[in-house]
Amino acid sequence: MKRRRLGLVTDGAYNTGLTVRLDARCSTEDLRIGELVVVEGRANRYFGMISDMQLRVTDPRLLASPPDDAPPLVSEALVGTGTFATVEVKPMLMLDMAAELDEQRGPQRVRTIPMHFSSLYKANEMDFATVFGKEGGTNFAIGTPVPMDIPICVRLDRFVERSNGIFGQSGTGKSFLARILLSGVLKTRAAANLILDMHSEYAFDKQTEDGHWVKGLRELFGSQILVYSLDAEAAARRNVDVTLTVGLNQVEAEDVMLLADELDLTATTAATAGLLGDQYGRDWLRQLLGMSADGVADFCQASGAHPEATRALQRKLKGVQRRGYLQDQVPFSLIDEMVTALGRGRSIILEFGRYDTPLDYMLVANIVTRRIRRLYQQKIERFEETRAEADRPLQLVITLEEAHKFLSPSVARQTIFGTIAREMRKYNVTLMVVDQRPSGIDPEVMSQLGTRVTGLLAEERDIDAVLTGMSGRTFLRGALASLDTRQQVLLMGHAVPMPVVVQTRTYDEDFYRAMQETGATRDGQDVTGADIWGR
Amino acid sequence: MRIGEIVESTSVQFVSESLELGRPPALGSLLKVEVSHESHLYGVVCYGETRSLDPGRPAVRRSTDEVYDDRVYHENPQLAHVLRTEFTCLTVGAMEGGVVLQGLPPQPPPLHFSVRSCNAEESTRFTEDLYYFRLLLGASGPVPSEQLLASHVRRVYRERGTDEDWLRVAAHEIAQLLKQDYDRLVAVLYGIEQGSGPSSRGASTP
Repeated sequence: MKRRRLGLVTDGAYNTGLTVRLDARCSTEDLRIGELVVVEGRANRYFGMISDMQLRVTDPRLLASPPDDAPPLVSEALVGTGTFATVEVKPMLMLDMAAELDEQRGPQRVRTIPMHFSSLYKANEMDFATVFGKEGGTNFAIGTPVPMDIPICVRLDRFVERSNGIFGQSGTGKSFLARILLSGVLKTRAAANLILDMHSEYAFDKQTEDGHWVKGLRELFGSQILVYSLDAEAAARRNVDVTLTVGLNQVEAEDVMLLADELDLTATTAATAGLLGDQYGRDWLRQLLGMSADGVADFCQASGAHPEATRALQRKLKGVQRRGYLQDQVPFSLIDEMVTALGRGRSIILEFGRYDTPLDYMLVANIVTRRIRRLYQQKIERFEETRAEADRPLQLVITLEEAHKFLSPSVARQTIFGTIAREMRKYNVTLMVVDQRPSGIDPEVMSQLGTRVTGLLAEERDIDAVLTGMSGRTFLRGALASLDTRQQVLLMGHAVPMPVVVQTRTYDEDFYRAMQETGATRDGQDVTGADIWGR
Repeated sequence: MRIGEIVESTSVQFVSESLELGRPPALGSLLKVEVSHESHLYGVVCYGETRSLDPGRPAVRRSTDEVYDDRVYHENPQLAHVLRTEFTCLTVGAMEGGVVLQGLPPQPPPLHFSVRSCNAEESTRFTEDLYYFRLLLGASGPVPSEQLLASHVRRVYRERGTDEDWLRVAAHEIAQLLKQDYDRLVAVLYGIEQGSGPSSRGASTP
């Protein structure tokens, strides 16, 4: 297959990337920042990304007197001679052209650069297949490269094995992207999902901003999904499987510390919760709420707690107590049932109904997740003892919205989510955080996110945060800044071999059909050398 | 067609005396010398001049109020014997056994051989490749090299039957050669354009 050459490598360094002089007939407007391109060296084929473009002249006098109304002969002659363009290409992967291509020894990370005058080409369908694999198995098509109609696949098995992040400013399609990725995980059964659905938007049909209705995951995946709700009234109206209640006995001191901002507690007040926990154990919250003024005084006397702080805590937590989903004493069996269902490969959407304030969300998400992680920890310990494959807990992905509230530097160390993000996949539980303010997330947590999918971000701090710990940040920054406001994302990290800009799939009838196809889990077809090179 | 005879020959250029007084071949035209049946040598006219045969007796004014311009020659038939017209060609290539070689040939052309004009077919054949533009741009004669190259390109363009594609390629080649010197480049390109611009080329562009 003959392909059109775009230009020749004229300069470059391993650290900074290659400079390619474009041929006279190739315009910068034919290319895009972030586009996948191929450089053919002598022995290797390099896959890289266009990170920058420059317009140049050979003689600076041309800049002083540009050929403004020059006849076409003059202005055409200057194209590609006196004036030319260069693009910066950052090679990311390389492939030995002599070696047979197979799954294990596909493109490798670059360890060298091509010599002068190597040719630059646009990536074609085969190149995309070489780098991103073909659709099938756990290779899930998330979208297409911006100018082409070729699927770009995410390796969902790798995606779920580490915590992930979906970012983008409001309106860039984060929640649809999350739906698409969740659908992929559900369809390929790469992992069980627990979706902490703050705004009750994942389970059932929902009207979008532009007015048409989209299907919920429950509609698409039927009984593979269990819907839990905190809100008994909404549960009665909607087709909800279980109404979840939370007991005061399940609230721990760390929950109160997490809620310090929401409840407007001082550090002393929050610390009092710890003292109460020491004194009364699991029953601390019920004890506190039931204390008379004398009781508070006695407790402070005995424990050394600050009386004012204790009274403030009592007052604030009484507000929490009035929530409909809170009861005095609730056994853990409801949450344990969730874990059993998740262990069987079913996925759970926990809706918050009318309790959709950050306070409710944080409190309940933290309690549920803490319990789940404890059970998973036990499961893993059992598996390590028996080493029986049947005891290996199924991978679990917890989808968390407004993640910066749980993972901000001030609370990330105390919440269960911070722990999960940091310990990564040790207990087979990972997070999928969905957020519009990545700068609000603890950098330590950010650096642990395996795969990051990000839409357009306006704030400089957010861009910095998303690119924390990624190599070639300056190159990715350009690609990130060039994204459209809708449906375009930069995909990078563990689940893709190299960063790539993707036009995401549309969540529509075609997508529903693809998700509902039976025999959906085709075996992944390995891309073979013959496929790629036609040998 | 014979148009002159070589009277001075060097490795880089040769001077010929024109067969017709006062009418040297046009600046920039492609000429040839047939050294043998198999071997031709090509040159581009870079300079022409008409002067007195005897350097000690330069030409003087001969016109009167009644007799001027052409009639001067009628009234003074001896002028044809005391004046001569010479032109200089830059050697730009050769043809050996039917193969065009651009650049300087190993030998200068022999003295007293004839200089001939090229027909359209020969011009077209020689100008398929444009390597010889380098020799024209490097010329150091009295005619500025930019003007010489522009004249040459204009002539070839017409001889090739107003070949727009060739003109574009030629302009591009010149831009490539002069990419470091915008002012010279513009001088050449405008020079070409003025003699063969849309008005004189029958406006292919609106």
